Amino acid sequence: MASILETAASVGVFNTLLAAVDAAGLRGALEGPGLFTVFAPVDDAFAALPPGTVQTLVDNPPQLARILKYHVLSGAFSREQLVAQENWDSLEGAPIPIRSTDPFEVKNATVVTADVVCDNGVVHVIDRVILPG
Amino acid sequence: MTATVASERIKAPLIPPSTHRYADVIHRLEAGGSMLPDTPENLKQIIGIYKAYAVPMDFYWRDLLYIAERVFLNPLPAFKYFISQEYLDRPNSYAGDQSKLRIWRGGETAHPELLEFMERGETGRMPKLLHHLWHDRVNMEFAEACMQAMLWHQGMGGRFNNYLESDAYKANADRAIKAYFKGNPLMLGLYALFPEMFLEQVRQLSYYANLGLFWEVMAPVFFEMSDIYDEGGFKGVPDAMDFLVNGIFAVAGRPIYHHLYIGDECYEIIPKSEGFTWLYEAALPYVEAVFYRTAPFRGTKSYNAQADQVPADQADFHYGILYADLFPVGSAGIPPTLLMQDMLHFLPPYLKEIYREHKRGEEDELIQLGVTFQRSMYNVTSAVIQALRGALLYPLDDTNPEHLMANRRFFEAQMDRFLRPEARLSDIQSQDYR
Amino acid sequence: MDLLLLLLIPLLAGLLLPLLPAGSPWVRRGALAAALLQLLDGLWLWQHPPAALSLSWLPQLGLRLELGLDGLTLPLVLLAALLTAMAVMASPVDQSRQRLFFALMLATNLGLIGAFLARNALLFLLAYELILIPTTLLVATWGGERRAGAAIRFLTYGAVSGVALLAAVLALGWLQPGGLNFSYSALADHQLTAVQQRWILALVLLAFGLKLPVVPLHGWQPLTYSQAPTSVAMLMSGVVSKLGAYGLLRFGLEFLPDAWTAWSPWLAAVGAISATYGALNAIVQLDMRRLVAYSSLGHMGMLLLALAAATPLSLQGVIAQMLAHGLIIALLFCLVGLIELRTGTSAIPELSGLLNPQRGLPFTLGLMLLALLAAAGVPGLAGFVAELLVFEGSWVAFPWPTLVCLLASGLTAVYAIRLFNRVGFGRLDNERADWVSTSWGERAPALVLTALVLVAGLWPSLLTGFSETATAPLALRSSDAVTVIAMAPTNVNSAQLPA
Repeated sequence: MASILETAASVGVFNTLLAAVDAAGLRGALEGPGLFTVFAPVDDAFAALPPGTVQTLVDNPPQLARILKYHVLSGAFSREQLVAQENWDSLEGAPIPIRSTDPFEVKNATVVTADVVCDNGVVHVIDRVILPG
Repeated sequence: MTATVASERIKAPLIPPSTHRYADVIHRLEAGGSMLPDTPENLKQIIGIYKAYAVPMDFYWRDLLYIAERVFLNPLPAFKYFISQEYLDRPNSYAGDQSKLRIWRGGETAHPELLEFMERGETGRMPKLLHHLWHDRVNMEFAEACMQAMLWHQGMGGRFNNYLESDAYKANADRAIKAYFKGNPLMLGLYALFPEMFLEQVRQLSYYANLGLFWEVMAPVFFEMSDIYDEGGFKGVPDAMDFLVNGIFAVAGRPIYHHLYIGDECYEIIPKSEGFTWLYEAALPYVEAVFYRTAPFRGTKSYNAQADQVPADQADFHYGILYADLFPVGSAGIPPTLLMQDMLHFLPPYLKEIYREHKRGEEDELIQLGVTFQRSMYNVTSAVIQALRGALLYPLDDTNPEHLMANRRFFEAQMDRFLRPEARLSDIQSQDYR
Repeated sequence: MDLLLLLLIPLLAGLLLPLLPAGSPWVRRGALAAALLQLLDGLWLWQHPPAALSLSWLPQLGLRLELGLDGLTLPLVLLAALLTAMAVMASPVDQSRQRLFFALMLATNLGLIGAFLARNALLFLLAYELILIPTTLLVATWGGERRAGAAIRFLTYGAVSGVALLAAVLALGWLQPGGLNFSYSALADHQLTAVQQRWILALVLLAFGLKLPVVPLHGWQPLTYSQAPTSVAMLMSGVVSKLGAYGLLRFGLEFLPDAWTAWSPWLAAVGAISATYGALNAIVQLDMRRLVAYSSLGHMGMLLLALAAATPLSLQGVIAQMLAHGLIIALLFCLVGLIELRTGTSAIPELSGLLNPQRGLPFTLGLMLLALLAAAGVPGLAGFVAELLVFEGSWVAFPWPTLVCLLASGLTAVYAIRLFNRVGFGRLDNERADWVSTSWGERAPALVLTALVLVAGLWPSLLTGFSETATAPLALRSSDAVTVIAMAPTNVNSAQLPA
């Protein structure tokens, strides 16, 4: 199996996400051994944000890192495990609510593909960028 | 016949209508509109006042940063409003050719109308000190009052306030204070005796920086809106609101920081690496503290604390522009009137014309423009609400009724804040409110 | 001849102005010009004291056209002319049926001047009766909602007053030892017995007590003053009520001194009661006009106290109070009228925040503050001078009633501040605040009166300078009230005008 980032790169719809991870300097962390649960927004999700949003974030790595860390949980959790709890604490610190079990919705994003297992964690593909608050 | 029925079926709403008192407004928000009704006059009024607000705002953000970064802990800051040329020339990150994310087509230094006003004021060409003493200047006290509102209300979201209590901040501040007062045994001695007092002053200065960086964005946004309107680019109030929403998103990730400059050296009291964002640490707290809450203004009314006329819970404060009563008697010097007087100097001609034709014409321009300003701030608040909805909830054209109900609940919760009698939401629905 | 001019001006104006076309602006201007001419004539006469006039008219009735101007009546004549001018200025520019309106105002003015100038009791009576009809018509035609009731009540009380005065004058004239003689010079010799004096004084008190008014004869006053149009209220409260005071001074004090002295303790008590009653009622009023009306009632009570005391100082206070109160009350009615014109109401609960510099009536309220302070007797304004003289003069004669009146004077501050607080401060109601600010033309009468109130407060001889030599002989008690002077005063010669 591949690591989270390798899996994402191979699929081809996470270009923006991977570029962001690089810009934020989080590549090293996400390639490490610690298990992670990553909610990965597809490229269309980033494109749906109003113009300039991503650019501003990319220009400011600490701020970008914060938004990206909001998409990551410490530990690998499958869909079944996730839906058992109402809120999960993200790496950023703010909680991620599980809004619905069927369809599987995380905050205001729908999980299009759940339980993509990788070496160092699980990836759930989401259709929107989620933001704290 | 069938086609009409079919199209009606397509247009049938997915969720039942709201039963909230402000159902009309909620439905308008759900259709992508603003709390302010979409009429040509409303659009004209709010764009005009945005422009009139942006010119003094250009001074506010520059001077706020000047105070936070240069004046800092000067014990006798008598000249804190005498902004240095460097800060007048400080390029606005969102205007001018040098900008990476250009919002305004105009220049990056201080607005020419502002410079002209600083030169002449209402009285004429005089030495700057005389202008200052005569109070014929931009009322910077208003900006400071907004800052104090944010400082006092504290926890309104974001990480900024908690950081100000953290050890990292204290260490940064300590380093900065010691550097600032290097060679001044009196102040250093006072600092040793009363470290908390100095620390609190630095926290206040951090809020100066916060507000300055917030308004650095808003000024070019408003200028650009005025330019777009002048060339006919806005079809209505929702268009103006959408421009604000896009602007909010575009700049949401801007870092919020507090750097102190002593000579050429920079001391980072709040470094950019802490990850504070414009949206979460500046804009949302600002809206909450200044639009909704602020504090009762001295000199307009008497409040009996024993009779609970001022709420015991800070979150219940309702003295912001959205609840403001614009006819205080003997109104000299309270923050809203300071801003109103500032805006009076920069009104575009089409707005002056509207005021001339209504109520008492030129005699009560201050009140008329105050009402216009209230309308415009409801529009800004609508933009913030729509932006929050866009960020945290679902698109307006979502087909899932559950999602639409979530949106509905969000809007209703926002409208609940305007149920109290002081709210002006119902007043602004009518064009007669002037 | 000059004295006749004072009468001819309103007479001719009143007859000629109605000949102008109905909507012509010259009607109003003509009325104003007449009043101002009269004022100028009065001022001229002040500097050039006229000779008394004595012409035979109806000798069978004892009616002689005897006119004269002394230190007592000169200020009243000036006040009447001035307030007529101010009342004309305060009337709306688009006054309906203005020819009739100004003709009636001028008729009232004629009656007032005639009453003040008369030196023959029957002539005085004629002038006195003359005033009743025009004032009633003015209230009945141009008054407020309840004008019909107000006019009827006013007419009834006024008629009773007239009848009482008729009886008193006739008695005075017939009972003169030398045969039927109504002339003041004869009456001033007061050859009547004590019993006769008392009977006549009872009638005189009834007649002028209704006019002043004093409690308990005041029933017509609050309603009439509140229903009368602004100009009429100014004239009535400012001058017509002073006619009552003048009548008491002349017919009671001067012509019936023994009875007056005997009854003066009761009169002082009535004055004190009236002052307190007026002040207390003013405090609870919810309508600005009624508040001002009760304020007037209170001040007339103090006037009665000073008349009762009849020391030289208190009589000076009477004149001062007549002038000061005339100016102040006319000013108050003028301002209340201005507020009502703009805001549409004079109800206190409906008004607030009028001091708002942007959308209120700050200028008008500013003047109103001065007027209310003057009514409350704050030093530096006319009311203080008058009240000081009244209290100082009456204290030696009647300490307890004076004390009560002092307290009542303190109460005037209560309603003055309450009124100003409610109406001026507070939040301006935006939905109602769609009036325009007052123009200089509308402010003019209030400005003139305020200026006079201020000047008189700072330069008191404006109020007392007329009358010192004229009132001293009338005093019934010496300055320390130890001796009661019950003797015939010398003829108050109409030539004795102060320079």
